Amino acid sequence: MFDFVIAGIHAPIFLLVLTGFTVGVVGGFIGVGGGYMVTPALIVFGFPGYMASGIDATHIAGKAVISSIRHRQLGNIDWTLALTMVGGTMLGVELGVRLLNYTKKLGIAGVVLLACSVVVMFFLFLYTQLETRRAHKKIEEAAEAGRTVGRELKTSTLHHFFQRIPLYPIVRCRTARVVVSMWVVVLIGIATGLLAGFLGVGGGFIRVPSLVYLIGATTHISVGTDLVEIVVSGGYGALRQSMSGNVDMMAVLFMIVGAMIGAQFGSIATAYVRGPAIRYILSYSLILATTGACLRLIYVLTGQKIELLSFLAVVFTLGEMLFLCLFIVSLVVFSVRHKQGKRVPPWVPPLVVAAE
Amino acid sequence: MRWFIDSMLGYWILLLAISMGTAAAVYLLWLKQAAFSG
Repeated sequence: MFDFVIAGIHAPIFLLVLTGFTVGVVGGFIGVGGGYMVTPALIVFGFPGYMASGIDATHIAGKAVISSIRHRQLGNIDWTLALTMVGGTMLGVELGVRLLNYTKKLGIAGVVLLACSVVVMFFLFLYTQLETRRAHKKIEEAAEAGRTVGRELKTSTLHHFFQRIPLYPIVRCRTARVVVSMWVVVLIGIATGLLAGFLGVGGGFIRVPSLVYLIGATTHISVGTDLVEIVVSGGYGALRQSMSGNVDMMAVLFMIVGAMIGAQFGSIATAYVRGPAIRYILSYSLILATTGACLRLIYVLTGQKIELLSFLAVVFTLGEMLFLCLFIVSLVVFSVRHKQGKRVPPWVPPLVVAAE
Repeated sequence: MRWFIDSMLGYWILLLAISMGTAAAVYLLWLKQAAFSG
């Protein structure tokens, strides 16, 4: 047990380290900050709400730096895309925060936030899941026909529409192999930033599918590039929260210790899987977060009287971190086994690449 | 039982059950008790 003086609570150190580790693995793998998981978890551990949010923002910024360094080494960052998007993202976040403050004044912020989260995340889950299933099937068919398939395969054609918009200046993203109007990238940055700012999260779970399906970047590049965005937006959030006295640095320190190891593992794990595997994990993360938000929404709408709903929401928050972490670890294990010629479940080979 | 490993949906359900069960157990047996104090 450790006495967190600033937060004013006692909590076991290893629980924070473990939380940092699991969210680090997930964040490094699918390119999300994990704010939608960590903040509720910290509240369950006994941290006050405002402190949970501050600790979360600060640890996300630190973790994103670690993941970004690793993804840079793996060649997964397109700097042109990241730097073009960052201005739009910051503007979008600011607009989102102002919109949030407006709904707060109207007294409907809580319900609107949860309802928006449920709709946005469920839509993203459906699209990602359906598209990834199609891609999975195509890889299986290619393997049966004896054709080799690269690390990435997408069936969505939405990006063709956005890449054809002839608005100058046009940016050439060499690493992502995308040529697209700068305004498209900036507008997508504003839209995803607005949602992120309004929902009070880093926005990785919105930005990664946007980069994949709207810009046309590969999943690996989208994950790495999104983490650079999180360094900037998370860093800004951490600074603002620290200045407001919402951060217990000891709690951040313990979480960062776990996150450092987890983020390294999650980032390296991307080298063992194909793009659809990352998109599968992203969609699982989305449906679990949607279910958790749905439970909380029903709890709020029913006057916070049904204790079972509150209990289920807590279990979902803790359980989803564990589930995603276990799934990622098992994919890496299956990938290694596949390379060694050992038996793996039949659905695994199309999702993994030979371990390096 | 084999279905839980050989089918992706089965594997998903198996991991989800393990994770949610562990989370529920940790919460009920430990977190909900006086492990934390304000």
